[in-house]
Amino acid sequence: MNLAVVVQRYGAEINGGAELHARYIAEHLARHHAVEVLTTCARDYVTWRNEWPSGTEQVNGVTVRRFPVSRERHPEDFAKHSERIFTLAHSVKEELAWLESEGPTSPALIKHLASSGSTYDYVLFFSARYYHAYHGWRAVPAKAVLVPTAERDAAMGVSIMAPMFRGVRALMYNSFEERAMIQAIAGNREVPGVVVGVGSDVPARTDPDRIRTQHGIAGPYVVYVGRIDENKGCKELFGHFERYLKQSGRDLTLVLVGTSIMDIPDHPRIRHLGFMGDADKFDVMAGARALIMPSYFESLSMVALEAWGVGRPVLANGRCDVLRGQCIRSNAGLYYESYPEFAATLHAIEANPSFNEALGRNGREYFRTHYTWPVIVQKYQDMFRQLDDENARGVSRTIEPLPGFFARRRRTLPPADEVLAQAPQGPVVPQRRQPPRHQGPSHGARDQQTPREQHGPRDQRTPREQHGSRDHRGRRGGGR
Amino acid sequence: MADFSLRSDQIDVEQIMKQIRTRIKEKRGVDYTDQEIRELASVKLERFLDPRAVRSDLLAAYRRQRPPVPLPSLPGPPENYAFEDVTIYESHRGPLRWIRKLLNPLLKLLFNPNPLIHVLNLQSKINDYTWQTMAAQFDRVGQRFVTRDELDTLNYEVLNNLVLELTKLGIENRNLRMRLESMGTRLDFDERRQRAFEGLAQFKPVAAPSAVPSQADGEDDDDGDGAEGAPGGAGDAGRPGKRRRRRRGRKRGPEGSPQGPQGQQAQPSAGSQQDRPASAPSSDIPNTPSGGGSDQQ
Repeated sequence: MNLAVVVQRYGAEINGGAELHARYIAEHLARHHAVEVLTTCARDYVTWRNEWPSGTEQVNGVTVRRFPVSRERHPEDFAKHSERIFTLAHSVKEELAWLESEGPTSPALIKHLASSGSTYDYVLFFSARYYHAYHGWRAVPAKAVLVPTAERDAAMGVSIMAPMFRGVRALMYNSFEERAMIQAIAGNREVPGVVVGVGSDVPARTDPDRIRTQHGIAGPYVVYVGRIDENKGCKELFGHFERYLKQSGRDLTLVLVGTSIMDIPDHPRIRHLGFMGDADKFDVMAGARALIMPSYFESLSMVALEAWGVGRPVLANGRCDVLRGQCIRSNAGLYYESYPEFAATLHAIEANPSFNEALGRNGREYFRTHYTWPVIVQKYQDMFRQLDDENARGVSRTIEPLPGFFARRRRTLPPADEVLAQAPQGPVVPQRRQPPRHQGPSHGARDQQTPREQHGPRDQRTPREQHGSRDHRGRRGGGR
Repeated sequence: MADFSLRSDQIDVEQIMKQIRTRIKEKRGVDYTDQEIRELASVKLERFLDPRAVRSDLLAAYRRQRPPVPLPSLPGPPENYAFEDVTIYESHRGPLRWIRKLLNPLLKLLFNPNPLIHVLNLQSKINDYTWQTMAAQFDRVGQRFVTRDELDTLNYEVLNNLVLELTKLGIENRNLRMRLESMGTRLDFDERRQRAFEGLAQFKPVAAPSAVPSQADGEDDDDGDGAEGAPGGAGDAGRPGKRRRRRRGRKRGPEGSPQGPQGQQAQPSAGSQQDRPASAPSSDIPNTPSGGGSDQQ
């Protein structure tokens, strides 16, 4: 089977969430199929400047075909478009202009798909919100499989997104929350879709003592892994952690792993180890009492999955529906929405070894059941098989045509913020099975794979309304 | 949270989070600062007080309803005139005043000006009186307003303090209720533990099995000689198994001395025991379930 993976950036050194996700999927599918990656020459996600040469190269054994970006992104221009689309009534033409300003605008990539699309059996598009996904889907609708990697972002409420969600052949969701949001916005329940996520190569053995010795870490510690950024909730984390140390008097250290783009407090119990390779990262996580994920917006936290993979519990920001849902479904982590909750949950995790170990065991089991590579690859294989069956039966998707010349310019579309606000919020909570009568209580009766969609009670405001304002790149909160 | 051992399948994160949040909610209020209490009093009183009884925006509404309004000053009166009997004939021109005086009888022949002069004179006096009265009333009302404003300020302070104190009391009430529940739980636990210990403790009577016949002997002795059966007798000391008996309601003689002179002399220490009330337990009486020995007396 010939597969194409289309993603905005691609490279062994790129660690962005969707890009890394795409690379992992491409590399693992390449063991079973002929995989070609179609991407741009951009390395920087802010400007999409052409930094790699166009043409073909091999990255970790996968063929990568790069196409130039015709127009760099201007943050001010993009922010202006975003402001209009997200907050005011607007037209389809303005939405298309917004998409072009967001980028990465690469007509050459779209042209290649239109001309050579027939050589691929299926084309996997990563990141629904970008130019390449929308126009690429329109070029090869009959082969398009979308991996949306969508956060709860106003971009998902832009009206041109809904026909894409309805028009692709299949959707590979990252989480149940993402699926619920997209299905509510687009009404695409009939489109084949499965919650997959991404796997991780978690080592069978780790050596935390090596890292402790190497970096002089003594005593218990909790770890944060990722970009150290205010948009990732790190500022709040530092505040909460310092307050916790002051009030509790606990002997606990916060270890930070990742590149920092904000000031880190000068505190003896906050240690920044910088960027680390996978081996070191897993060793640090394995030795920690817990992984803390303070981010408000995640479509799928790979780091949290990796922490569960090494048997460590997770303390997550409860305002992020996805993280909260994962904690509930896995029974392997707690979550907080305020300082008192942070202090109580952190204390519960770090001061109770039995509880900590039980959470870790649940996490390891959750990871083993849902996020090991054989499981992930099998889900993709099953989906391809299902689409093959549909092809054999003559099932196809049709593209909804764009409005005409005048209709395209009519400002009748609602603000994307309003559209998104109508989508359900909160984690998708698995429905408990009722214990059978006269047979005693049932233990662990949870349907992990297909939880019924029950959204927990939440603040009626969207997370974006509660936190964060639109940044200079025209996005709000923790996106890019 | 105390350390506890858990099986993985026993963990329900949702339930744990509910418990944590409930605890946080209950614990709140224990360490509120005055400033926080003030904020609570002005913003979220309904959490602690009955919202049907006390309005949470009481102070704000009070401030809105009673803005301090300065009392306007009363404008001065127009200049009053003095009207006398010669006023209508007056003139600053001397010849004209002379002619008017000369022709005054002729005027009085045509009509009588005196009532007119009288009325106008009276009106002038009425004007003076009205103005003075009104000014006095205005001053009084002004004074009332000033007093009322001062009282309002006082009321505001009282209400403010009342709301604050009610808030504190509400919080304290909750804390006390929690402490009471905690103490009740501990008390129940102690009682249960006490009962468990009592159940575990093995009963060991002071009287050994061999004492039963000696007790019977003692009863025989009592039957034979009531006076010698007085407790604390020397003969009892050498018989540990014998039940001591004490006569209830034993009356003293008219002189206040014991009836038997022997008892007074031979048992000096026994007098103190006999002086006890009948219901006072004797330390020498073993606590037996039957306890019937003394009743036989």
